Amino acid sequence: MLSYLLLYCLHRFNGERSLAAVYHLLTGKKSAQTLQDSKWFQLERVFGIYKTLSLGELEQAAMQLLQNQWIVSVDERSYVLTEAGKEALHEWLLSATFFTHLNGLLYDTVDRLFWYRLSLTVQTLSNLVHRHQFIPIHRHEATFAWVRTYLMAKNPHALAQALHDELHTICSSLSEEEATIFTLRLTSFERIGWTNEQIAACLQTDPLYVQLTFQHVLHYMMKRAEREPKQFPILHNVIKDLVKSVSLTLSAQKTYEWLIKGKTIAEIARIRHLKPNTIEDHVVEIAANVRDFSIAPFVAEEARRKIIEAATRLKTRQLKKIRDAVGEEISYFEIRLVLAKAGESSAS
Amino acid sequence: MHLEQRLYETFGYRTFRLGQKEIIEDVLAKNDVLAMLPTGGGKSVCYQLPGYVLSGSVLIVSPLVSLMEDQVQQLKMRGEKRVIALNSFLPDEMKKRALANLQHFRFIYASPEILQSPLWQKALKQIAISLFVVDEAHCISQWGHDFRPDFLKLGAIRRELGNPPCLALTATATKDVRNDIIETLQLTNVRQHLYSVDRPNIAIQVECVDSVDEKLARVLHYAKTLQGPGMIYASSRQWTEVLARKLEAEGIEGVAYYHGGMDSEQRMLVQHQFLCDQLQLVCCTNAFGMGVNKENVRYVVHFHLPSQLEAYVQEIGRAGRDGKNSLAILLYTHGDEDMVQSLIEAELPTEEQVRLFMAYGNDVRSMVEINEVQWRLLHYMVEKERTKARTVEEIIANIQAAIEARKHWKRSKLRQMRSFLFQPFCLREQIVSYFEQRLEKKPAHCCNRCTFSLDSYQFKRQDEPVRAFRGWEEELKRMFWNEEYT
Repeated sequence: MLSYLLLYCLHRFNGERSLAAVYHLLTGKKSAQTLQDSKWFQLERVFGIYKTLSLGELEQAAMQLLQNQWIVSVDERSYVLTEAGKEALHEWLLSATFFTHLNGLLYDTVDRLFWYRLSLTVQTLSNLVHRHQFIPIHRHEATFAWVRTYLMAKNPHALAQALHDELHTICSSLSEEEATIFTLRLTSFERIGWTNEQIAACLQTDPLYVQLTFQHVLHYMMKRAEREPKQFPILHNVIKDLVKSVSLTLSAQKTYEWLIKGKTIAEIARIRHLKPNTIEDHVVEIAANVRDFSIAPFVAEEARRKIIEAATRLKTRQLKKIRDAVGEEISYFEIRLVLAKAGESSAS
Repeated sequence: MHLEQRLYETFGYRTFRLGQKEIIEDVLAKNDVLAMLPTGGGKSVCYQLPGYVLSGSVLIVSPLVSLMEDQVQQLKMRGEKRVIALNSFLPDEMKKRALANLQHFRFIYASPEILQSPLWQKALKQIAISLFVVDEAHCISQWGHDFRPDFLKLGAIRRELGNPPCLALTATATKDVRNDIIETLQLTNVRQHLYSVDRPNIAIQVECVDSVDEKLARVLHYAKTLQGPGMIYASSRQWTEVLARKLEAEGIEGVAYYHGGMDSEQRMLVQHQFLCDQLQLVCCTNAFGMGVNKENVRYVVHFHLPSQLEAYVQEIGRAGRDGKNSLAILLYTHGDEDMVQSLIEAELPTEEQVRLFMAYGNDVRSMVEINEVQWRLLHYMVEKERTKARTVEEIIANIQAAIEARKHWKRSKLRQMRSFLFQPFCLREQIVSYFEQRLEKKPAHCCNRCTFSLDSYQFKRQDEPVRAFRGWEEELKRMFWNEEYT
């Protein structure tokens, strides 16, 4: 299962990124580079979906793919798919139903908070209804506080009924397997939720498949809860203050605030005691993430046109190749900015 | 008010357990106290009860965030609201509130890292701390079995906080380690309460078998015949998975594995399932156990020998917390110590890591694989050497020497563990004398050097059938519906 996931990433990267980039992508490293990669190569959905992955496991999966002759090495630790590899990927994608709603980048960390709240609410209500003391299944102060406030002065029986109905509606619109996986993960009165492994054993499938399907169900649920407050009043309450419009690293966020105030890169670098290079990284990150952020102040229209033209003609996202084509008067910073913006518009 | 009365009103116990009252009396008299109580001996009562008598807050330093959270959870379940755990995961808003109202809390649990933050130090300095508790105090000593370099700074922190009386608690500290604790925490006129490490209700068995296959056969046999719940300790993550799968394949129900490489939610699920008796058997590394307060663990099997006796005593000590007869079985086959040794050495920083760390600092983590234990040790060693040595090469050389010394020490600890298996003497007496104590009384079921029969442990009652899953619709209904009210 992991090898297919790797195959999928390698296919999108098309030999232009190393295994390390796949690792950072799947484990959800919040660096400007990884965030951009996920957009440029349209790999947003798998961003951060496998946080416990180790580099060793990934290397092993790559070995496996090499042995199957599904990939060949093009550079140190960079690979492209063979015809057989493409075929295998194609076949697998047909069965990868969890890709439908999975969006790791959009829901990164928010999905965890959503799940904490939802599952703790379920556990609490279920035990209240059955008049039973319990130990919370999550250790997360912010979630405790939220659940406490939310349940305050509400009738637990009525709320339990209403939440049951909302979850029932959601589950009814899922496949039998998806609904089963979701329900088994919940902890309630007299039943602690099952682990991915236990569910996988029960359904005779792969634990990673269970994990990804579970995340896909969560993302689907979050999307509906966000858009249909009337249909899902409780779930909407769970999510409404969690979704953020843009995801920027904290440091880039600060740079963004200074940019809005009209400071230049050099000025911000001085104010924040950071290298201008770092601030440039931030600007690229902002360009990739903030839709109405204009790169015009940083790149001349002529340069922008040249970069796009070179990238399209060479079918590449590799900075070095584009730089060679457009000439030295255009900086790497400009190229990265343009690509970040282009990735953003083609992905949306 | 009598202490007994207080005990009953607050904790619901009629009598103190061995040593608790004497320790509490010394604590209330504002003495510095070093207390060694057997595993599961009720250490937390020793500072929680004084929390209700002394005015001011009790500050408890604990090595593991999860351990802290377990304790806080247990206090809250008992209705104590004035308790907080300070760690880096505390959400901003709660942090702000806690900082403003710190004196409000009766019990303040804190990680050593948090105590180094100037912000928290300042806040703690402004409140009255009636007692400074160091839980699992053996972590202070670099010769303790779970060395946490951060603990070394606790002495200075305590001084910063105006030297409140200190209570250091541990279950497993040899004399050297105890001296380290006293010195590091700068305990003065310290009152030592050292109780026997012995747990009389745990019978001890050591078995040497010819091969790994035979070990597997023994584990299977025990899983089939012994009354659970049980735990099986293995020294690698991979082995815990192998064992769990093997047992499952042989038809044992309710088995899971647990190790530090799992994501935290999955770990939590296994822990809770075990606590709620939904699992009969957990195959685990030593990541499982600390803070798992399960009373009815009936047996602990060691599939590999632990790296030292201190760890062994901690681990078998998870059995029989309810005082009922329990069993500890260690399985050994020729060559196990080599595997354990290589695992131990994998916890020490390598020369490459030291060099890269000196050159690139924290970035080293994305350059080479480096585990948590290596990382802690590396940090500690470099920090220590930087204050003494002048050149980078000198620092590297000194660290290499320190690593060698540590390797040497660990090997000798492992040798002692191994000789425990092969000495023809009573196992219980060996354990006790390792901690420089004498065994007062031998229980009837002592160990397989003395005589005892496994017969009384073999009976396995029929386990209750695991609740069946009848599809998601039924399950959702069951969760939210209580028939009594309809």
